[in-house]
Amino acid sequence: MNSDQHHSTRDRVIEVRGLRRSYGDIEAVRGVSFEVARGEVFCLLGPNGAGKTTIVEILEGYRSRTSGEATVLGLDPASGSRALHERVGIVLQQCGVQPDLTVSELVEMYGRYHVRQRSVDEVIDLVELSEKRDERAKQLSGGQRRRLDLAIALVGDPDLIFLDEPTTGFDPAARRAAWSAIKSLCELGKTIFLTTHFMDEAQFLADHVAVMRDGQIIASGRPEDLGGRDLRPAEIRFTLPAGGVSAADVPALPGEQRSVQGDRVIVTTREPVRAAQVLTTWAVDNAVDLGHFSVTQPTLEDIYLELTGSGDHNQTREEQSA
Amino acid sequence: MSTVPHSTLRRDLGLVSWQIRYEQRSYWRNRGRAFFTFAFPLMFLVIFASIDKGSHIASRGGIPYDDFFIPGILAYAIIATTFTNLAISTAILQEAGVLKRMQGTPLPRWAYVSARIGSTCLITLAITVVVLVAGVALWGLHFPAGGLPGLIITLVLGTAAFTTLGIGMTRFIPNADSGPVLVNLLILPITFISNIWFPTDNLPGVLKTIASIFPLKALASGLQWVFDPRHHGTPLDGDSVKILAIWTAIGIWLMIKFLRRPQGEVV
Repeated sequence: MNSDQHHSTRDRVIEVRGLRRSYGDIEAVRGVSFEVARGEVFCLLGPNGAGKTTIVEILEGYRSRTSGEATVLGLDPASGSRALHERVGIVLQQCGVQPDLTVSELVEMYGRYHVRQRSVDEVIDLVELSEKRDERAKQLSGGQRRRLDLAIALVGDPDLIFLDEPTTGFDPAARRAAWSAIKSLCELGKTIFLTTHFMDEAQFLADHVAVMRDGQIIASGRPEDLGGRDLRPAEIRFTLPAGGVSAADVPALPGEQRSVQGDRVIVTTREPVRAAQVLTTWAVDNAVDLGHFSVTQPTLEDIYLELTGSGDHNQTREEQSA
Repeated sequence: MSTVPHSTLRRDLGLVSWQIRYEQRSYWRNRGRAFFTFAFPLMFLVIFASIDKGSHIASRGGIPYDDFFIPGILAYAIIATTFTNLAISTAILQEAGVLKRMQGTPLPRWAYVSARIGSTCLITLAITVVVLVAGVALWGLHFPAGGLPGLIITLVLGTAAFTTLGIGMTRFIPNADSGPVLVNLLILPITFISNIWFPTDNLPGVLKTIASIFPLKALASGLQWVFDPRHHGTPLDGDSVKILAIWTAIGIWLMIKFLRRPQGEVV
Protein backbone atom coordinates (compact mmCIF):
# COMPACT_ATOMS: atom_id res chain seq x y z
CA MET A 1 0.00 0.00 0.00
CA ASN A 2 2.88 2.29 0.68
CA SER A 3 3.92 3.30 -2.77
CA ASP A 4 6.68 5.63 -1.56
CA GLN A 5 9.19 3.01 -0.57
CA HIS A 6 11.27 3.41 -3.66
CA HIS A 7 11.72 7.18 -3.31
CA SER A 8 15.34 8.17 -2.99
CA THR A 9 16.50 10.25 -0.02
CA ARG A 10 16.44 13.37 -2.17
CA ASP A 11 12.77 12.98 -2.84
CA ARG A 12 11.87 12.54 0.81
CA VAL A 13 10.92 15.90 2.27
CA ILE A 14 10.00 14.51 5.68
CA GLU A 15 11.18 11.32 7.35
CA VAL A 16 9.95 10.26 10.76
CA ARG A 17 11.03 7.08 12.57
CA GLY A 18 9.74 5.83 15.90
CA LEU A 19 8.73 9.33 17.01
CA ARG A 20 7.61 9.64 20.62
CA ARG A 21 6.59 12.56 22.79
CA SER A 22 5.46 12.47 26.40
CA TYR A 23 3.97 15.20 28.53
CA GLY A 24 4.66 14.06 32.05
CA ASP A 25 3.02 10.66 32.36
CA ILE A 26 0.95 11.06 29.23
CA GLU A 27 2.42 9.77 26.02
CA ALA A 28 0.84 11.89 23.27
CA VAL A 29 2.80 10.35 20.40
CA ARG A 30 3.67 6.68 20.69
CA GLY A 31 6.14 5.58 18.10
CA VAL A 32 5.07 7.08 14.79
CA SER A 33 6.87 6.52 11.47
CA PHE A 34 6.12 7.91 8.03
CA GLU A 35 7.63 9.60 5.01
CA VAL A 36 6.47 12.45 2.84
CA ALA A 37 7.63 12.61 -0.75
CA ARG A 38 8.38 15.80 -2.67
CA GLY A 39 5.33 17.36 -4.29
CA GLU A 40 2.91 15.25 -2.31
CA VAL A 41 -0.04 16.32 -0.16
CA PHE A 42 0.31 14.28 3.01
CA CYS A 43 -2.56 14.29 5.46
CA LEU A 44 -2.64 13.33 9.12
CA LEU A 45 -6.27 12.52 9.80
CA GLY A 46 -7.65 11.83 13.22
CA PRO A 47 -9.97 12.99 15.99
CA ASN A 48 -9.03 15.84 18.32
CA GLY A 49 -6.43 14.74 20.84
CA ALA A 50 -5.00 12.01 18.61
CA GLY A 51 -1.57 13.68 18.63
CA LYS A 52 -1.68 15.41 15.22
CA THR A 53 -0.71 18.87 16.42
CA THR A 54 2.11 17.51 18.58
CA ILE A 55 3.61 15.83 15.51
CA VAL A 56 3.25 18.92 13.32
CA GLU A 57 4.77 21.15 15.98
CA ILE A 58 7.71 18.78 16.39
CA LEU A 59 8.29 18.93 12.63
CA GLU A 60 7.94 22.73 12.64
CA GLY A 61 10.56 22.97 15.39
CA TYR A 62 8.21 24.28 18.10
CA ARG A 63 8.32 21.20 20.28
CA SER A 64 11.02 18.81 21.28
CA ARG A 65 10.64 15.06 20.85
CA THR A 66 11.13 12.55 23.62
CA SER A 67 12.70 9.99 21.29
CA GLY A 68 12.83 8.86 17.70
CA GLU A 69 14.14 10.45 14.54
CA ALA A 70 12.73 13.32 12.53
CA THR A 71 14.19 14.93 9.43
CA VAL A 72 12.63 17.81 7.53
CA LEU A 73 14.24 18.84 4.23
CA GLY A 74 17.32 16.92 5.35
CA LEU A 75 17.62 18.88 8.63
CA ASP A 76 16.71 18.13 12.23
CA PRO A 77 13.73 20.34 13.10
CA ALA A 78 14.83 20.48 16.76
CA SER A 79 17.99 22.34 15.72
CA GLY A 80 15.97 25.51 15.08
CA SER A 81 18.04 25.97 11.93
CA ARG A 82 17.46 29.19 10.07
CA ALA A 83 17.96 27.35 6.78
CA LEU A 84 14.88 25.31 7.64
CA HIS A 85 12.76 28.36 8.48
CA GLU A 86 13.77 29.82 5.11
CA ARG A 87 12.22 26.91 3.24
CA VAL A 88 9.19 26.07 5.35
CA GLY A 89 5.86 27.89 5.46
CA ILE A 90 3.72 27.40 8.55
CA VAL A 91 0.00 27.88 9.11
CA LEU A 92 -0.56 27.30 12.81
CA GLN A 93 -3.84 26.83 14.57
CA GLN A 94 -5.05 30.08 16.16
CA CYS A 95 -1.96 32.15 15.73
CA GLY A 96 -2.27 35.91 15.65
CA VAL A 97 -0.47 38.61 13.72
CA GLN A 98 0.45 42.19 14.65
CA PRO A 99 -3.14 43.52 14.83
CA ASP A 100 -2.50 47.14 13.80
CA LEU A 101 -0.63 46.40 10.57
CA THR A 102 -2.48 46.05 7.27
CA VAL A 103 -2.73 42.93 5.14
CA SER A 104 -0.15 44.17 2.64
CA GLU A 105 2.21 45.41 5.36
CA LEU A 106 2.09 42.04 7.10
CA VAL A 107 2.69 40.01 3.94
CA GLU A 108 5.56 42.36 3.04
CA MET A 109 7.02 42.22 6.57
CA TYR A 110 7.01 38.42 6.82
CA GLY A 111 8.33 38.24 3.27
CA ARG A 112 11.37 40.36 4.15
CA TYR A 113 12.59 37.73 6.60
CA HIS A 114 13.20 35.34 3.70
CA VAL A 115 16.07 35.49 1.25
CA ARG A 116 13.76 34.12 -1.43
CA GLN A 117 10.48 36.02 -1.65
CA ARG A 118 7.39 36.00 -3.78
CA SER A 119 5.71 39.18 -4.91
CA VAL A 120 3.43 40.57 -2.20
CA ASP A 121 0.66 41.43 -4.67
CA GLU A 122 0.78 38.00 -6.26
CA VAL A 123 0.45 36.24 -2.92
CA ILE A 124 -2.40 38.51 -1.80
CA ASP A 125 -4.16 37.78 -5.10
CA LEU A 126 -3.64 34.06 -4.68
CA VAL A 127 -5.49 34.01 -1.34
CA GLU A 128 -8.12 36.42 -2.70
CA LEU A 129 -7.51 39.24 -0.23
CA SER A 130 -6.81 41.99 -2.80
CA GLU A 131 -9.84 43.98 -1.70
CA LYS A 132 -8.69 43.84 1.91
CA ARG A 133 -5.04 44.70 1.32
CA ASP A 134 -5.23 48.03 3.18
CA GLU A 135 -7.39 46.75 6.04
CA ARG A 136 -5.75 46.21 9.40
CA ALA A 137 -5.49 42.60 10.49
CA LYS A 138 -7.77 43.17 13.46
CA GLN A 139 -10.61 44.19 11.14
CA LEU A 140 -10.60 40.93 9.15
CA SER A 141 -13.16 38.17 9.58
CA GLY A 142 -12.08 34.73 10.77
CA GLY A 143 -11.93 33.29 7.27
CA GLN A 144 -10.04 36.29 5.93
CA ARG A 145 -7.52 36.01 8.75
CA ARG A 146 -6.99 32.36 7.91
CA ARG A 147 -6.30 33.34 4.30
CA LEU A 148 -3.87 35.97 5.56
CA ASP A 149 -2.13 33.17 7.51
CA LEU A 150 -1.80 31.27 4.26
CA ALA A 151 -0.44 34.34 2.45
CA ILE A 152 2.18 34.85 5.20
CA ALA A 153 3.17 31.18 4.93
CA LEU A 154 3.54 31.48 1.15
CA VAL A 155 5.36 34.78 0.76
CA GLY A 156 8.73 33.19 1.55
CA ASP A 157 8.26 30.84 -1.40
CA PRO A 158 8.60 27.71 0.76
CA ASP A 159 9.26 24.20 -0.53
CA LEU A 160 7.22 22.66 2.27
CA ILE A 161 4.03 24.03 3.79
CA PHE A 162 2.50 22.91 7.08
CA LEU A 163 -1.23 23.43 7.38
CA ASP A 164 -2.61 22.58 10.82
CA GLU A 165 -6.39 22.23 10.50
CA PRO A 166 -6.56 24.97 7.90
CA THR A 167 -10.33 25.09 7.47
CA THR A 168 -11.61 24.56 11.02
CA GLY A 169 -14.38 27.08 11.60
CA PHE A 170 -14.94 27.84 7.92
CA ASP A 171 -18.33 27.96 6.27
CA PRO A 172 -18.75 25.56 3.32
CA ALA A 173 -18.00 28.22 0.68
CA ALA A 174 -14.84 29.35 2.47
CA ARG A 175 -13.69 25.75 2.77
CA ARG A 176 -14.13 25.22 -0.95
CA ALA A 177 -12.13 28.39 -1.60
CA ALA A 178 -9.35 27.25 0.75
CA TRP A 179 -9.27 23.85 -0.88
CA SER A 180 -8.84 25.34 -4.32
CA ALA A 181 -6.05 27.58 -2.98
CA ILE A 182 -4.31 24.52 -1.53
CA LYS A 183 -4.79 22.61 -4.78
CA SER A 184 -3.17 25.48 -6.65
CA LEU A 185 -0.14 25.15 -4.35
CA CYS A 186 0.24 21.53 -5.42
CA GLU A 187 0.34 22.71 -9.00
CA LEU A 188 3.33 24.89 -8.03
CA GLY A 189 5.11 21.70 -6.95
CA LYS A 190 4.98 22.44 -3.22
CA THR A 191 4.94 19.66 -0.67
CA ILE A 192 2.06 20.02 1.75
CA PHE A 193 1.70 18.52 5.20
CA LEU A 194 -1.89 18.81 6.30
CA THR A 195 -3.69 17.85 9.46
CA THR A 196 -7.45 17.67 9.63
CA HIS A 197 -10.32 15.92 11.32
CA PHE A 198 -12.50 16.28 8.24
CA MET A 199 -12.62 13.17 6.08
CA ASP A 200 -13.88 14.99 3.03
CA GLU A 201 -10.92 17.36 3.29
CA ALA A 202 -8.46 14.47 3.33
CA GLN A 203 -10.33 12.80 0.47
CA PHE A 204 -10.32 15.94 -1.65
CA LEU A 205 -6.76 17.13 -1.02
CA ALA A 206 -4.50 14.29 0.03
CA ASP A 207 -2.29 12.01 -2.04
CA HIS A 208 -1.49 10.05 1.08
CA VAL A 209 -3.45 9.77 4.32
CA ALA A 210 -2.26 8.52 7.70
CA VAL A 211 -5.04 7.94 10.23
CA MET A 212 -4.13 8.57 13.87
CA ARG A 213 -5.72 7.41 17.06
CA ASP A 214 -4.29 7.68 20.58
CA GLY A 215 -0.86 8.81 19.43
CA GLN A 216 -0.38 6.08 16.82
CA ILE A 217 -0.88 5.73 13.11
CA ILE A 218 -3.47 3.00 12.71
CA ALA A 219 -3.77 3.04 8.94
CA SER A 220 -1.99 4.67 6.08
CA GLY A 221 -2.37 4.77 2.33
CA ARG A 222 -3.96 6.59 -0.58
CA PRO A 223 -7.45 7.87 0.26
CA GLU A 224 -8.93 5.51 -2.37
CA ASP A 225 -7.57 2.36 -0.80
CA LEU A 226 -7.12 3.38 2.82
CA GLY A 227 -7.86 0.56 5.25
CA GLY A 228 -8.36 -1.83 2.34
CA ARG A 229 -11.24 0.27 1.10
CA ASP A 230 -10.66 -0.86 -2.48
CA LEU A 231 -10.83 -4.51 -1.41
CA ARG A 232 -13.96 -4.20 0.70
CA PRO A 233 -17.18 -5.68 -0.64
CA ALA A 234 -19.61 -3.34 -2.35
CA GLU A 235 -23.31 -3.18 -1.61
CA ILE A 236 -26.06 -3.45 -4.21
CA ARG A 237 -29.38 -2.22 -2.89
CA PHE A 238 -32.81 -2.35 -4.45
CA THR A 239 -36.49 -2.84 -3.64
CA LEU A 240 -38.78 -5.38 -5.28
CA PRO A 241 -42.02 -4.28 -6.89
CA ALA A 242 -45.20 -4.98 -4.93
CA GLY A 243 -46.92 -8.31 -5.81
CA GLY A 244 -45.65 -11.17 -7.91
CA VAL A 245 -41.88 -11.29 -7.35
CA SER A 246 -40.33 -12.46 -4.06
CA ALA A 247 -36.73 -12.26 -2.95
CA ALA A 248 -36.34 -15.96 -3.63
CA ASP A 249 -37.03 -15.34 -7.35
CA VAL A 250 -33.92 -13.16 -7.69
CA PRO A 251 -31.17 -15.34 -9.21
CA ALA A 252 -27.96 -16.16 -7.37
CA LEU A 253 -25.40 -13.38 -7.94
CA PRO A 254 -21.61 -13.78 -8.11
CA GLY A 255 -19.94 -13.76 -4.69
CA GLU A 256 -23.01 -12.53 -2.91
CA GLN A 257 -24.32 -12.41 0.62
CA ARG A 258 -27.92 -11.39 0.66
CA SER A 259 -30.07 -9.79 3.32
CA VAL A 260 -33.78 -9.23 2.85
CA GLN A 261 -36.00 -6.92 4.88
CA GLY A 262 -39.54 -7.02 3.47
CA ASP A 263 -39.26 -5.79 -0.10
CA ARG A 264 -35.79 -4.29 0.46
CA VAL A 265 -32.80 -6.36 -0.61
CA ILE A 266 -29.12 -5.66 0.18
CA VAL A 267 -26.57 -7.74 -1.70
CA THR A 268 -22.98 -7.65 -0.45
CA THR A 269 -20.46 -8.77 -3.02
CA ARG A 270 -16.81 -8.53 -3.94
CA GLU A 271 -17.75 -8.68 -7.60
CA PRO A 272 -20.12 -5.75 -7.92
CA VAL A 273 -19.75 -5.32 -11.67
CA ARG A 274 -20.64 -8.88 -12.60
CA ALA A 275 -23.31 -9.14 -9.90
CA ALA A 276 -24.98 -5.97 -11.17
CA GLN A 277 -24.91 -7.30 -14.70
CA VAL A 278 -26.58 -10.61 -13.77
CA LEU A 279 -29.14 -8.81 -11.65
CA THR A 280 -30.08 -6.15 -14.19
CA THR A 281 -30.19 -8.69 -17.07
CA TRP A 282 -32.61 -10.80 -15.06
CA ALA A 283 -34.70 -7.77 -14.17
CA VAL A 284 -34.90 -6.51 -17.73
CA ASP A 285 -35.63 -9.98 -19.21
CA ASN A 286 -38.43 -10.61 -16.72
CA ALA A 287 -39.74 -7.04 -16.74
CA VAL A 288 -39.17 -6.69 -13.00
CA ASP A 289 -39.07 -3.04 -12.01
CA LEU A 290 -36.33 -2.74 -9.36
CA GLY A 291 -36.71 0.40 -7.22
CA HIS A 292 -34.02 2.50 -5.47
CA PHE A 293 -31.27 0.66 -7.29
CA SER A 294 -27.71 1.57 -6.15
CA VAL A 295 -24.17 0.20 -5.99
CA THR A 296 -21.86 1.67 -3.31
CA GLN A 297 -18.31 1.21 -2.09
CA PRO A 298 -17.64 1.96 1.59
CA THR A 299 -16.84 5.69 1.93
CA LEU A 300 -13.69 7.05 3.51
CA GLU A 301 -15.94 8.14 6.33
CA ASP A 302 -17.07 4.54 6.94
CA ILE A 303 -13.46 3.42 7.07
CA TYR A 304 -12.40 6.33 9.26
CA LEU A 305 -15.18 5.80 11.79
CA GLU A 306 -14.40 2.11 11.85
CA LEU A 307 -10.69 2.77 12.41
CA THR A 308 -11.00 5.52 15.00
CA GLY A 309 -14.16 4.15 16.61
CA SER A 310 -14.67 2.31 19.88
CA GLY A 311 -12.43 -0.58 18.88
CA ASP A 312 -15.17 -3.12 18.04
CA HIS A 313 -13.54 -3.66 14.75
CA ASN A 314 -10.21 -5.32 14.99
CA GLN A 315 -8.89 -3.45 12.00
CA THR A 316 -5.83 -1.88 13.56
CA ARG A 317 -3.05 -2.00 11.07
CA GLU A 318 0.57 -1.47 11.71
CA GLU A 319 1.74 1.53 9.82
CA GLN A 320 3.67 0.28 6.86
CA SER A 321 7.05 1.77 6.34
CA ALA A 322 10.13 0.91 4.39
CA MET B 1 25.90 32.84 16.18
CA SER B 2 29.66 33.22 16.20
CA THR B 3 30.07 31.97 12.65
CA VAL B 4 27.63 34.41 11.04
CA PRO B 5 29.13 35.57 7.76
CA HIS B 6 29.59 39.28 7.41
CA SER B 7 26.95 39.61 4.70
CA THR B 8 24.35 37.81 6.84
CA LEU B 9 24.99 40.17 9.73
CA ARG B 10 24.59 43.16 7.45
CA ARG B 11 21.37 41.76 6.09
CA ASP B 12 20.11 41.08 9.62
CA LEU B 13 20.90 44.62 10.73
CA GLY B 14 18.90 45.78 7.72
CA LEU B 15 16.04 43.56 8.91
CA VAL B 16 16.27 45.11 12.39
CA SER B 17 15.89 48.59 10.93
CA TRP B 18 12.89 47.47 8.84
CA GLN B 19 11.36 45.78 11.85
CA ILE B 20 11.75 48.98 13.88
CA ARG B 21 9.58 50.73 11.28
CA TYR B 22 6.87 48.07 11.58
CA GLU B 23 7.04 48.27 15.38
CA GLN B 24 6.71 52.07 15.20
CA ARG B 25 3.63 51.80 13.00
CA SER B 26 2.12 49.26 15.37
CA TYR B 27 2.77 51.49 18.38
CA TRP B 28 1.37 54.75 17.03
CA ARG B 29 -1.65 53.11 15.38
CA ASN B 30 -2.84 51.63 18.66
CA ARG B 31 -4.40 54.87 19.89
CA GLY B 32 -5.29 53.49 23.30
CA ARG B 33 -1.80 52.36 24.13
CA ALA B 34 -0.12 55.43 22.62
CA PHE B 35 -2.38 57.64 24.73
CA PHE B 36 -1.87 55.61 27.87
CA THR B 37 1.91 55.45 27.59
CA PHE B 38 2.79 58.67 25.72
CA ALA B 39 0.06 61.31 26.09
CA PHE B 40 -0.83 60.46 29.70
CA PRO B 41 2.52 61.48 31.22
CA LEU B 42 2.48 64.66 29.10
CA MET B 43 -0.95 65.50 30.46
CA PHE B 44 0.38 65.26 34.03
CA LEU B 45 3.32 67.39 33.01
CA VAL B 46 1.09 70.17 31.70
CA ILE B 47 -1.25 70.12 34.70
CA PHE B 48 1.26 69.91 37.54
CA ALA B 49 4.05 71.97 36.00
CA SER B 50 1.54 74.79 35.46
CA ILE B 51 0.16 74.55 38.99
CA ASP B 52 3.62 74.45 40.50
CA LYS B 53 5.05 77.28 38.41
CA GLY B 54 6.63 79.93 40.57
CA SER B 55 6.68 77.89 43.79
CA HIS B 56 9.81 76.67 45.50
CA ILE B 57 10.79 73.73 47.70
CA ALA B 58 12.00 75.00 51.06
CA SER B 59 13.26 71.59 52.17
CA ARG B 60 15.50 71.44 49.13
CA GLY B 61 17.23 74.75 49.57
CA GLY B 62 14.41 76.70 47.89
CA ILE B 63 14.93 75.34 44.38
CA PRO B 64 12.09 76.02 41.88
CA TYR B 65 9.39 73.32 42.18
CA ASP B 66 9.46 72.65 38.44
CA ASP B 67 13.19 71.89 38.55
CA PHE B 68 12.13 69.00 40.77
CA PHE B 69 8.84 68.06 39.20
CA ILE B 70 9.80 68.05 35.50
CA PRO B 71 12.70 65.56 35.90
CA GLY B 72 10.37 63.49 38.12
CA ILE B 73 7.62 63.33 35.49
CA LEU B 74 10.29 62.56 32.90
CA ALA B 75 11.16 59.48 34.98
CA TYR B 76 7.46 58.54 35.02
CA ALA B 77 7.21 59.08 31.25
CA ILE B 78 10.22 56.85 30.61
CA ILE B 79 8.73 54.10 32.78
CA ALA B 80 5.43 54.41 30.87
CA THR B 81 7.00 54.19 27.41
CA THR B 82 9.39 51.37 28.33
CA PHE B 83 8.19 49.18 31.20
CA THR B 84 4.43 49.72 30.98
CA ASN B 85 4.37 49.67 27.19
CA LEU B 86 6.57 46.59 26.76
CA ALA B 87 5.09 44.50 29.55
CA ILE B 88 1.52 45.04 28.32
CA SER B 89 2.23 44.72 24.61
CA THR B 90 4.52 41.68 24.94
CA ALA B 91 1.86 39.89 26.99
CA ILE B 92 -0.64 40.63 24.22
CA LEU B 93 1.74 39.40 21.51
CA GLN B 94 2.44 36.26 23.48
CA GLU B 95 -1.22 35.47 24.09
CA ALA B 96 -2.16 36.12 20.46
CA GLY B 97 0.57 33.72 19.33
CA VAL B 98 2.58 36.40 17.51
CA LEU B 99 5.75 35.47 19.40
CA LYS B 100 5.22 31.87 18.40
CA ARG B 101 4.71 32.86 14.79
CA MET B 102 7.85 35.02 14.83
CA GLN B 103 9.80 32.05 16.15
CA GLY B 104 8.84 30.06 13.04
CA THR B 105 10.29 32.67 10.65
CA PRO B 106 13.92 33.05 9.53
CA LEU B 107 14.18 36.35 11.45
CA PRO B 108 16.63 35.61 14.28
CA ARG B 109 15.17 36.07 17.74
CA TRP B 110 17.88 38.58 18.69
CA ALA B 111 16.94 40.69 15.66
CA TYR B 112 13.26 40.76 16.62
CA VAL B 113 14.01 41.62 20.24
CA SER B 114 16.50 44.30 19.16
CA ALA B 115 13.86 45.86 16.96
CA ARG B 116 11.29 45.84 19.78
CA ILE B 117 13.86 47.47 22.08
CA GLY B 118 15.05 49.86 19.36
CA SER B 119 11.53 51.02 18.66
CA THR B 120 10.92 51.53 22.38
CA CYS B 121 14.10 53.59 22.66
CA LEU B 122 12.91 55.86 19.83
CA ILE B 123 9.64 56.47 21.67
CA THR B 124 11.53 57.12 24.90
CA LEU B 125 13.85 59.52 23.13
CA ALA B 126 10.86 61.35 21.66
CA ILE B 127 9.12 61.80 24.99
CA THR B 128 12.39 62.85 26.67
CA VAL B 129 12.92 65.56 24.08
CA VAL B 130 9.30 66.71 24.34
CA VAL B 131 9.37 66.88 28.16
CA LEU B 132 12.72 68.70 28.34
CA VAL B 133 12.06 71.15 25.51
CA ALA B 134 8.58 71.94 26.84
CA GLY B 135 10.03 72.17 30.36
CA VAL B 136 12.62 74.76 29.35
CA ALA B 137 10.33 76.67 26.98
CA LEU B 138 7.09 76.74 28.98
CA TRP B 139 7.99 76.35 32.63
CA GLY B 140 11.48 77.74 32.81
CA LEU B 141 13.26 74.48 33.63
CA HIS B 142 16.89 75.32 34.34
CA PHE B 143 19.04 73.15 32.13
CA PRO B 144 22.32 72.78 34.01
CA ALA B 145 25.55 73.84 32.36
CA GLY B 146 27.77 70.76 32.08
CA GLY B 147 24.91 68.50 33.11
CA LEU B 148 24.53 66.74 29.78
CA PRO B 149 26.85 63.74 30.38
CA GLY B 150 25.20 62.98 33.73
CA LEU B 151 21.75 63.37 32.14
CA ILE B 152 22.64 61.00 29.30
CA ILE B 153 24.14 58.35 31.58
CA THR B 154 21.12 58.40 33.88
CA LEU B 155 18.67 58.31 30.94
CA VAL B 156 20.47 55.44 29.23
CA LEU B 157 20.70 53.35 32.39
CA GLY B 158 17.09 54.07 33.33
CA THR B 159 15.87 53.16 29.86
CA ALA B 160 17.95 49.97 29.88
CA ALA B 161 16.63 48.92 33.29
CA PHE B 162 12.96 49.54 32.55
CA THR B 163 13.09 48.15 29.00
CA THR B 164 14.59 44.83 30.02
CA LEU B 165 12.39 44.64 33.12
CA GLY B 166 9.34 45.32 30.95
CA ILE B 167 10.07 42.39 28.65
CA GLY B 168 11.09 40.15 31.55
CA MET B 169 7.93 41.08 33.46
CA THR B 170 5.85 39.32 30.80
CA ARG B 171 6.68 36.02 32.48
CA PHE B 172 4.61 37.05 35.47
CA ILE B 173 1.56 38.22 33.52
CA PRO B 174 -0.82 35.26 33.35
CA ASN B 175 -2.91 36.63 30.46
CA ALA B 176 -3.13 39.71 28.28
CA ASP B 177 -6.23 41.09 30.01
CA SER B 178 -4.54 41.25 33.38
CA GLY B 179 -1.47 43.01 31.94
CA PRO B 180 -2.52 46.66 32.39
CA VAL B 181 -3.98 45.99 35.85
CA LEU B 182 -0.90 44.15 37.11
CA VAL B 183 1.57 46.64 35.69
CA ASN B 184 -0.22 49.63 37.16
CA LEU B 185 -0.74 47.89 40.47
CA LEU B 186 2.99 47.42 40.58
CA ILE B 187 4.06 50.87 39.36
CA LEU B 188 1.49 53.37 40.62
CA PRO B 189 1.79 52.88 44.41
CA ILE B 190 5.59 53.02 44.20
CA THR B 191 5.47 56.31 42.27
CA PHE B 192 3.96 57.96 45.36
CA ILE B 193 6.99 57.15 47.50
CA SER B 194 9.57 57.71 44.76
CA ASN B 195 10.03 61.47 44.39
CA ILE B 196 7.87 61.54 41.28
CA TRP B 197 4.82 63.63 42.20
CA PHE B 198 6.25 65.42 45.25
CA PRO B 199 9.46 65.26 47.31
CA THR B 200 9.44 62.16 49.48
CA ASP B 201 12.39 63.17 51.65
CA ASN B 202 10.28 63.17 54.84
CA LEU B 203 8.55 59.80 54.47
CA PRO B 204 8.55 57.26 57.32
CA GLY B 205 11.68 55.12 57.32
CA VAL B 206 9.96 51.92 56.16
CA LEU B 207 8.50 53.54 53.08
CA LYS B 208 11.81 55.19 52.34
CA THR B 209 13.55 51.83 52.54
CA ILE B 210 10.98 50.22 50.24
CA ALA B 211 11.33 53.05 47.74
CA SER B 212 15.11 52.82 47.81
CA ILE B 213 14.99 49.17 46.70
CA PHE B 214 13.07 49.82 43.51
CA PRO B 215 14.49 51.54 40.43
CA LEU B 216 11.69 54.16 40.18
CA LYS B 217 13.08 56.45 42.84
CA ALA B 218 16.61 55.89 41.55
CA LEU B 219 15.61 57.12 38.09
CA ALA B 220 13.61 60.10 39.41
CA SER B 221 16.26 61.10 41.94
CA GLY B 222 19.05 60.59 39.45
CA LEU B 223 17.38 62.95 36.97
CA GLN B 224 16.47 65.46 39.70
CA TRP B 225 20.07 65.47 40.84
CA VAL B 226 21.21 66.62 37.42
CA PHE B 227 18.75 69.55 37.43
CA ASP B 228 19.37 70.56 41.04
CA PRO B 229 21.54 73.72 41.02
CA ARG B 230 23.05 72.71 44.37
CA HIS B 231 24.74 69.73 42.71
CA HIS B 232 26.50 71.58 39.93
CA GLY B 233 30.04 70.37 39.83
CA THR B 234 29.08 66.81 40.75
CA PRO B 235 27.02 66.00 37.68
CA LEU B 236 25.99 62.44 38.57
CA ASP B 237 24.07 60.86 41.47
CA GLY B 238 26.25 57.84 42.25
CA ASP B 239 23.72 56.02 44.44
CA SER B 240 20.97 56.22 41.83
CA VAL B 241 23.29 55.10 39.08
CA LYS B 242 24.35 52.10 41.15
CA ILE B 243 20.75 51.02 41.79
CA LEU B 244 19.83 51.48 38.13
CA ALA B 245 22.83 49.41 37.08
CA ILE B 246 21.82 46.58 39.44
CA TRP B 247 18.27 46.65 38.10
CA THR B 248 19.56 46.65 34.54
CA ALA B 249 21.45 43.45 35.34
CA ILE B 250 18.32 41.94 36.90
CA GLY B 251 16.29 43.11 33.90
CA ILE B 252 18.66 41.51 31.40
CA TRP B 253 18.55 38.25 33.37
CA LEU B 254 14.73 38.25 33.53
CA MET B 255 14.46 39.18 29.86
CA ILE B 256 16.75 36.36 28.75
CA LYS B 257 14.84 33.91 30.94
CA PHE B 258 11.60 35.01 29.32
CA LEU B 259 13.00 34.92 25.78
CA ARG B 260 14.50 31.46 26.20
CA ARG B 261 11.10 29.99 26.96
CA PRO B 262 9.93 28.14 23.87
CA GLN B 263 6.67 29.57 22.63
CA GLY B 264 5.38 26.26 21.33
CA GLU B 265 5.38 24.15 24.44
CA VAL B 266 2.08 24.18 26.28
CA VAL B 267 2.65 21.58 28.94
